[in-house]
Amino acid sequence: MMASNKQRPAKLSVYLYIPNIVVSTFGAVLDMVTDRVSTACLLVILSQIYRPSLVFLSLLALDIASHWLQMYSTFLSGKTSHKDVKDSTSWLFRLYYGNRMFMGYCCVSCEILYIILFLISKNHTENLMSVVVESLTQFSPLSLLLALSIFGWSIKQIINVIQMKTAADVCVLYDIDKQHKP
Amino acid sequence: MMASNKQRPAKLSVYLYIPNIVGYMRVVLNCFAFAVCFSNKTLFSLLYFFSFCCDSVDGWCARKFNQVSTFGAVLDMVTDRVSTACLLVILSQIYRPSLVFLSLLALDIASHWLQMYSTFLSGKTSHKDVKDSTSWLFRLYYGNRMFMGYCCVSCEILYIILFLISKNHTENLMSVVVESLTQFSPLSLLLALSIFGWSIKQIINVIQMKTAADVCVLYDIDKQHKP
Repeated sequence: MMASNKQRPAKLSVYLYIPNIVVSTFGAVLDMVTDRVSTACLLVILSQIYRPSLVFLSLLALDIASHWLQMYSTFLSGKTSHKDVKDSTSWLFRLYYGNRMFMGYCCVSCEILYIILFLISKNHTENLMSVVVESLTQFSPLSLLLALSIFGWSIKQIINVIQMKTAADVCVLYDIDKQHKP
Repeated sequence: MMASNKQRPAKLSVYLYIPNIVGYMRVVLNCFAFAVCFSNKTLFSLLYFFSFCCDSVDGWCARKFNQVSTFGAVLDMVTDRVSTACLLVILSQIYRPSLVFLSLLALDIASHWLQMYSTFLSGKTSHKDVKDSTSWLFRLYYGNRMFMGYCCVSCEILYIILFLISKNHTENLMSVVVESLTQFSPLSLLLALSIFGWSIKQIINVIQMKTAADVCVLYDIDKQHKP
């Protein structure tokens, strides 16, 4: 009880780090969770507007699954961040993780794309393909932004898929290593 | 290279563990279920529920065939999270206000994510092994596997029921629930029981978030004091 009394002010002070600039585990987790939940909610909204809703349902599934597996494999391999990936056989993987600006572009593209799709929808129910094709063929500044974000978004989704396989491998190798070094 | 050649057959063999094959089946069942959810509600409910039942089958297989694997546990967790998320998305399309199911989705993702993180940080093997807590509800929930099972199953049953009883594309959640409860039919009883278990689970989720956040904070504090 005395230990927790001494700690309680300290615990509160970590919660009140503003804005968690000082690196803390709680801050990193809060960050991750906020990202996942906000992207999930936006995808839910988009799945309500755009048909077929299976598209955004699948994107939500891919987002949750890939990030969950990534987090797990990061823990198992003892890395501090899933963004520190040292070796991989995939050139795309190396390009993505080797270049922070490219990674940033891909991640931001996803959010930009989803926001654009949300903003350009006029009705409660839209056909995704027609809206996208129509916006692209207008050849306006919006078309350019849309095209750029679609490109970055597609890279990110491919990375998500590769990441799931890589992370699954880490889980499997973790067990194998544990067996061989008792 | 030689090491990975020796490992590669072993890696594939883990992927082909019987419980993991059951896991893949669950994924396929869920994909198929959500593909038909709007055209065939009954089929969707059966597939979804069957996949949910397989959740306990793969655990049983793992122990029976001595094929427990980390990958299997993760596959299990991810399938649970994604299938619940997709069902909540479907429900948010049907029931107004959609903010209700949006919030439930947010709570589900956030609480399980934090739980997972804190489980790793405190070195426990499963977030279901919680030894000490100040909350009596917490102790009741985690101390009694049957009660925990009842609460978890209640959530899935409630969501499936809400999906099945919806007739139109847009329904008012409160009116549908009140109408079904006041019918005093067997469905009303099932609905009431599942609402009770579901609410316990959601309260536990909220408490769990706070507990898990505390673990994250204490982890840093401990690290500072023991360098």
